[in-house]
Amino acid sequence: MSEKISITATINGAEHTATVEPRRSLVDFLRHDLGLVGTHVGCEHGVCGACTVMLNGRTVRACLLFAAQADGSEVTTIEGIGTDEALHPLQLAFQQHHALQCGFCTPGMILAALELLRDNADPSDEEIRVGLSGNLCMCTGYVNIVRAVRAAVSNGKAK
Amino acid sequence: MSAQRKWVGQALERTEDPRLITRGGHFIDDLTLPGVAHAAYVRSPHARAKIRHIDVRRALDHPGVYATITGDDVAQLTRPQRGRVPLPNSPKVYALAYQQVRYVGEPVVGIAAVDRATAEDAADLIEVEYDPLPPVIDPEEALKPDAPLVFEEVGSNILWHNTFPYGDVESAFKEADTVVNERVTIHRYSSTPLETFGVMAQFEAATQSYTIWGHTQQPAQDLHVLAAALGISPGQIRMIVPPMGGSFGNKVRPLFIIAAALLARKAGRPVKWIEDRRESLLALGHAADGIMDMSAAVKADGTVLAIKFRNIENEGAGIDFAARHNLLMLSNIANCYRFRALSYEGYSVVTNRCPVVANRGIGKPFMCFSVERMIDAIARALEIDRAEIRFRNFIQPDQFPYDTPSGQTYDSGDYPEMLRKALAAVDYEKLKGEQAEGRKRGRLLGIGIATAVEPGGSNLSYGMLVSGPSQLLSGQGEAARVRLETDGSATVFTGGLDSGQGHATALAQIVADELALDVKQIRVATTFDSASHPYVMTSGVYSNKFHGHDTVAAIGAARKVRDKLLKRAAAQLEAHVDDLELHDGHIAVRGAPDKGVSVAQIASRAYWSLADEQPDGEPGLEALYYYSNPLAKHPDEKKRVRVQLGFASAAHVAVVDIDPETFEIKVLRYVVIHDCGRQINPGIVEGQVHGAAAHGIAAALLEEFIYDENGQLLSTSFMDYLKPTAADLPNIEGDRLETPSPLTLLGTKGVGEGGAVVAPAAIASAVEDALAPLGIHIAALPIVPSRLWEVAAAGAKRYENARK
Repeated sequence: MSEKISITATINGAEHTATVEPRRSLVDFLRHDLGLVGTHVGCEHGVCGACTVMLNGRTVRACLLFAAQADGSEVTTIEGIGTDEALHPLQLAFQQHHALQCGFCTPGMILAALELLRDNADPSDEEIRVGLSGNLCMCTGYVNIVRAVRAAVSNGKAK
Repeated sequence: MSAQRKWVGQALERTEDPRLITRGGHFIDDLTLPGVAHAAYVRSPHARAKIRHIDVRRALDHPGVYATITGDDVAQLTRPQRGRVPLPNSPKVYALAYQQVRYVGEPVVGIAAVDRATAEDAADLIEVEYDPLPPVIDPEEALKPDAPLVFEEVGSNILWHNTFPYGDVESAFKEADTVVNERVTIHRYSSTPLETFGVMAQFEAATQSYTIWGHTQQPAQDLHVLAAALGISPGQIRMIVPPMGGSFGNKVRPLFIIAAALLARKAGRPVKWIEDRRESLLALGHAADGIMDMSAAVKADGTVLAIKFRNIENEGAGIDFAARHNLLMLSNIANCYRFRALSYEGYSVVTNRCPVVANRGIGKPFMCFSVERMIDAIARALEIDRAEIRFRNFIQPDQFPYDTPSGQTYDSGDYPEMLRKALAAVDYEKLKGEQAEGRKRGRLLGIGIATAVEPGGSNLSYGMLVSGPSQLLSGQGEAARVRLETDGSATVFTGGLDSGQGHATALAQIVADELALDVKQIRVATTFDSASHPYVMTSGVYSNKFHGHDTVAAIGAARKVRDKLLKRAAAQLEAHVDDLELHDGHIAVRGAPDKGVSVAQIASRAYWSLADEQPDGEPGLEALYYYSNPLAKHPDEKKRVRVQLGFASAAHVAVVDIDPETFEIKVLRYVVIHDCGRQINPGIVEGQVHGAAAHGIAAALLEEFIYDENGQLLSTSFMDYLKPTAADLPNIEGDRLETPSPLTLLGTKGVGEGGAVVAPAAIASAVEDALAPLGIHIAALPIVPSRLWEVAAAGAKRYENARK
């Protein structure tokens, strides 16, 4: 295997420097090198969205990027959007509305919803469905996910 | 003293969720061990071929490779696998292809290396020489006398065939005014858990024992299958099953665990294997495809007297689930109707396709599809409204408990009310008016109706219909242990597993009521460990069994603990047990308000003060309960058997709009009225209803494993195997009906599978109704716009499987 390369990235607000194989995918780097296992691997071909993370504020498929491509970037994963004491409104809404079952798609789904609400603060149900259509959930039929995103919008408005 | 009823029935938030929404961390790929190696597999590119030669030398020389394993190794180290329903004439199946490959994607060589990438690099260095042979892909072709044999040692591609006459079918046909014949097919699909299959195996040479972390839905059976294959005692295997990212009946592949165990033994270090998506679509397992021929004896008023069924089930190239689709179809063969007699002839046929697994509802989606298609066909033949014909044939609310011809005992239900509610939700009569208006303008609007029973909890004695009474595996049950901790909280262990159903939350609600504690004081151990969790041979998460088995086991253990607790309190308070009141973690004596003690105080003494006199004869406050469902009996002499033990039900109404140019199908409304009896957590129940219906809708409209004539699977990624996104699915609306089951402690019935069982039938009914102006009859799934267009363009009247 070719020579390892050094990368530096800000992950959930903390700077990390690491040496990786050029072929190391971003999701394997996050999961296996940094131990951030909240980001999941569902298909490794960019369809299911389980590996969705934010790269410089936009969602990306961490299975389709090399870790090296995150060099010099800011990455946000599920571990970086809320804490146990202060859940992000989307996390709270997912819990309150039974928007997850096995929970394997949930981190990616929440990050996709986060981007959706940043782009459109008050989406219709149809817009929520289209906005989340890059992320597969095999358990819920999406009904409660749509409800949760809508509830997160209402909770935000109430604040 | 009866239990309080405070927590059961509430739509509480799930205890599983806080971790899952913030960091995950318990899935199999999140776990590791020092020095763990990673596995990859060389897989067959052929549907059928002899393996002439395998050369692993270059792989073994590759830096970072620890071991390889081939079919020859496996055949030397293990005994062939037994199917879950043992066949009288079983072929020899091993964890890796031995001498021959039988489907594309079959694992041929395993490699353990320092990391996955290195293992895959090494896989590319392994040379396998094959002599390709003509495969057999179509199950009807496989039945022909000159067909290639998938398993030569069986001498035929028919693994099993039997006929089940239930009641006097012939007299029903003599009495009939009309006979309606139908032939429908179902395709291959799968619920594809988002987390693929995974296993990590460790071998300890000193004790010749294995520790397995990994996926199964039947941990006790898989542990014993593994022990039998390896020729060791079950006591030499420890099986740990972490929460799974979905399972849906797919994650029962003991051969995958055997392969990992052998690799760990050969590599001399733990080995982890996480299936990739292509491997999963190729080889984890599919729902069986099938061909159903039916004939119904019908009176002029639409009363259906009897139906004859003949099903050819395509098992693929495996024996794990041999005959099981066929046998489980006997559970819902009568569906919601008062059929006087039935007959069922089933073939289990092997072909060079991926082996089948127990995908959500196993067999029952096809049986429901078949019966409901037949009912629609009868309605059409007799020009009776499709709702009306169902009302005329429903089992009536005052007929429960109702025994069906195949020996099922339906516990409770109100099918007419269920359908009335579903029709009211879409305003059926008004919608029919809209439809008639729209048709004048060429609009293709369709209303689909399907009603169904949802069986729950398999009685595994049904396997005796194949294996005879010598089969050991029978019945259904579950085991639980409840431990009251020294702080007055409680911990629950069961033989059940977690793959997203919220069972930990539901069990906490149940046990909190039994022990009169706050639900937050109950924790449920969600990672199964055979070293610490009690189990019976039927333990696990499958067949909708939770509602009447896991629940009963937990209640049984909790009640034993409560009895122990009260006995201790009575001794300490010098009162009679019958005078004690248990509530909110406190025990008081009725009529003596100043006398009382906390549960934590009693529990502390029970564990710490071993020199005390033990009112119960033993220290501690822990109890085990093993439950066997008394309803689960052996088949009788007329081949009747309670295949499943509880019967929920549902009515689905779908409204679709079809583009007359492109035949694109849009689902405008989807209504489910379901009845699973008493609900433990309505929030969880609703989620199960949505999710299962989504599986059924997607199976009917999108998902399909397509094989070409050479046995190559053409849909091996999520680009080709179409899963529904949020934008593809309708909002699933609905409501519940609640007819508590008299047969379970809580009045509960199953709820995990129903939507997936019923939805394909409802969608087919809706599409057929929309296409009524063109007279196209839906006899196959999935219903794909391009194929519909071809049928319409050809002026044909039947939408059939493209294979024919």
